[in-house]
Amino acid sequence: MKLNRRLFLKVTGAAGAIAAVPPATARALTAEEAAAVNSGRRGVLVDTPKCVGCRACEAACTETNNQPEPLRLDDPAVFKTVRTTDTRHYTIVNAANTGASAAPARFIKRQCMHCVEPACASACLVRALDKTPTGPVVYHKDRCLGCRYCMVACPFNVPKYEYDSPAPFVQKCTFCADRQLRGEAPACTSVCPSGALTFGLRDELIETARERLYAKGSKYVRHIFGEHEVGGTSWMYLTDIPFETLGLPGDLGTYAYSSLTQASLAAVPFVLTLWPPLLMGMYTFSKRRDQVAAQEAAAKETSHD
Amino acid sequence: MIPHDILTLYSAKMIEYGIAIVFLLLFIPFWKYVQGPSAAAVPAHPRVRQPATTGADWFPIPLGLLFHRGHAWARPEPDGLVTVGLDGFAAKLVGPFAAVALPQVGTAIGQGERAWRLVAGDGRAVEMLSPLDGTIAEINADLARTPDAAHVDPYGRGWLFRVRPQRFRANSTNLLSGATARRWMDEAVAGLQRTLSPELGALAQDGGLPLTGMARVIEPDHWDTLARTHLLTEDKEEANA
Amino acid sequence: MTSTTARALPSGGWVTDKIFLGLPFAGYLKSLATPGNFAAGLIMAVGIPVIVYRFAYGLGASTNLSQTNPWGIWIGFDMLAGVALAAGGYTIATSVYIFGLKEYHPIVRPAILTGFLGYLFAVLGLCADLGRPWNLPVPLFISWGGPSVMFEIAWCVVLYLTVLGLEFLPPVFEWLGWKKALVLATKATIGLTIVGLMLSTLHQSSLGGLFLMAPTKLHPLWYSPFIPAYFFISSIAAGLSMVIVESGLSHRAFKNRIDHHVNLDKLVVGLARGASIVLFAYFFLKLQGVVDGGRWALLATGYGYWFLVEILGFALLPSLVFAYAARRAKVTLIRWTAAWTVLGIIVNRLNVSVIALNWNSPDRYIPNWMEVMVSITLVTLGISAFRWIVNRMPVLNEHELSGIRGS
Repeated sequence: MKLNRRLFLKVTGAAGAIAAVPPATARALTAEEAAAVNSGRRGVLVDTPKCVGCRACEAACTETNNQPEPLRLDDPAVFKTVRTTDTRHYTIVNAANTGASAAPARFIKRQCMHCVEPACASACLVRALDKTPTGPVVYHKDRCLGCRYCMVACPFNVPKYEYDSPAPFVQKCTFCADRQLRGEAPACTSVCPSGALTFGLRDELIETARERLYAKGSKYVRHIFGEHEVGGTSWMYLTDIPFETLGLPGDLGTYAYSSLTQASLAAVPFVLTLWPPLLMGMYTFSKRRDQVAAQEAAAKETSHD
Repeated sequence: MIPHDILTLYSAKMIEYGIAIVFLLLFIPFWKYVQGPSAAAVPAHPRVRQPATTGADWFPIPLGLLFHRGHAWARPEPDGLVTVGLDGFAAKLVGPFAAVALPQVGTAIGQGERAWRLVAGDGRAVEMLSPLDGTIAEINADLARTPDAAHVDPYGRGWLFRVRPQRFRANSTNLLSGATARRWMDEAVAGLQRTLSPELGALAQDGGLPLTGMARVIEPDHWDTLARTHLLTEDKEEANA
Repeated sequence: MTSTTARALPSGGWVTDKIFLGLPFAGYLKSLATPGNFAAGLIMAVGIPVIVYRFAYGLGASTNLSQTNPWGIWIGFDMLAGVALAAGGYTIATSVYIFGLKEYHPIVRPAILTGFLGYLFAVLGLCADLGRPWNLPVPLFISWGGPSVMFEIAWCVVLYLTVLGLEFLPPVFEWLGWKKALVLATKATIGLTIVGLMLSTLHQSSLGGLFLMAPTKLHPLWYSPFIPAYFFISSIAAGLSMVIVESGLSHRAFKNRIDHHVNLDKLVVGLARGASIVLFAYFFLKLQGVVDGGRWALLATGYGYWFLVEILGFALLPSLVFAYAARRAKVTLIRWTAAWTVLGIIVNRLNVSVIALNWNSPDRYIPNWMEVMVSITLVTLGISAFRWIVNRMPVLNEHELSGIRGS
């Protein structure tokens, strides 16, 4: 939908009003959301053409996590730069790089993708980052050593590190796992005024997405980002402009990153089993060779006496 | 990531096999080259490299001398006499000499018998054994004036005396030379190293040649006993001196 | 107080004999005034406060790490290169005890000591890099992330450090004069060597395996499913080269301690032969990896030229020079080539972890002076520990108790 100036002012006004209200009472769960909360793998469908850039999601997130307010919440000029999440802001909204100023503005909310088979969780040597069965990838901060391998592994560069602290933690979006346990939807999806964010069961969201993509007259690019990328992500994206202009990485395969290391890790028990007999064999062989050589030398000496 | 299309895959596989075959073909001559002609290119042990002086780094041994295990040397001369001296090990062990008490001309000496005495600055003396049987024909007069010559240049100016030998051929079966002398000197040096090893007083922390008077540094109170032990003149009755 | 053997020595007490090299305390302190110790002291005078600063104020204040570049030279150099260069321990031990190449026995102990100290200081470098190093017991005893390559590395390194420590016990027991313990420790050698080789195979390769998780971040010429094999094989060449370098330096620095019977030059030639073959095969393997990934077109780019410098200049060329020098027994050339190979290993590890990683990101990483200082300080501490041990324990020479050795 085209964003004209009047609608923009209306929505930002609404966003301001919404941001002032605690997220828990922002909106009651829909029936689908209630179903999702109680069973199965959850996800979120991000329908970017619907996003108006109000950043209510950012405000709700910082509020629920007791973090400082997002920067320049009322200033549309914030979209001039492409921002990333940081240790105090688990989600941010960027404007898409559409180029033409007359083109419709497009916005994209970025946060942890809560991958189905997360690279970070498989990389974490202490399961500080851990995938829960219902979707959220949670962080057990008491286990963390701060090795930062999760940061290397994540193809979306999501985990952020508290470099300024002498006792630092990893910080990232939690998918409001604690709220989900209480039967609520995540803070950001609860306050979205335009329906860009839909929280529900991942499988059903994919169906919903397909309906939108293949509807008559649909302008969407016919691809659900996150359906298969890196083995599937909980947060999936639809767009009517090319995905690269939204800033989503285009070079990800459809394999889960955990599979990349499984072959080399499978070698571990293999080596543990094969090396001892192999090496003992070599040792015995070389010892035997020395014995034979010594016997031959001794034989030579006695034959000369 | 570079996409793999099927056509690239064909050429990639052929190139891979090609590289493997090239490697195998190159490997065999390379292995042969690296292993080298049999035993020819073994680097000579550093000790053997210089023909003129040999022996451990610490106590280089001039060739052409015969050594007695008591650390004396004998050198047969063209005129039939044999020059006798003490070796570098003995010199460095005892340290600067205040005096060298030599036997008089005409005295008879026997191989393995005490023949002369080294006197150090503190007055203590250490005796040494003669390397051969014979009669003293001449002694080094310089040592009366500069006894330390025997300490500073034991193989040259510091020669001790010259002997008319009696049974030199028989004596020389008990003497060491060449490779056996070098091995024996290495053993002596190693023995000294073992005593020095936990004690680094005589040496700089990280290497360097031994200072002189090593016996005194190792065992300040009974250095003469230690020296006699190495020079084989330690007498058990004198053990508690 | 005499005896007919050379063992009669005045005893100043255990501490004086064993720790202060038999010198009175004042004399020992005086003997420490060497240029080498002075330089080391200077480095530590700067480096230790920097380390304190890093722990007091955090990584942000003391490093150039960022959200895009979470790993720097403490991982790339201290951990990765340090572990690779400490591989001399397992290569020489395996050659002597498993393959039966007994002529290399004189260099087993310095190689194991280099290995032990190399791993120890790699772990210390890791502790400087970890955000919460006090949680080190967690992956061992509390929470196990099995699918993680890092988990396997943590276990392997801890176990291998233990194995190296145990392998070094014989010289320690000889120094202390504990005969019974010495016999026991010596009996364990074969078993420890096998376990050590097993663990080394695993963690040397896994350190490379870490980067399998970064296919979009590591430059395609370095990213390969064979990284683990590359790291393991290059670690063999690294270990052999490091032993050549270390033995050359030790023989000069500890002239009074070495066993003059040992023809070190002959052993060095043998090591050079081994390194030459390994590097030769390694070069071809890297080439195969490039072709297998269909990436040869990338060789014509900037990073491609740097990759060629790495495999041609730091793998193939040293291999050929080692071969030539070994064949002609040119020992000095071998030593220089070994130093050059050591540099090449460092270059490779830095390439994979810092230079070719995030090659396409606008935010690149360059270490700041504090990171460099900490690395230099750790290396200096390691060298000082090496010298302290060699000056007291029978590492470069044989001890009178060494005849007790069983195997």
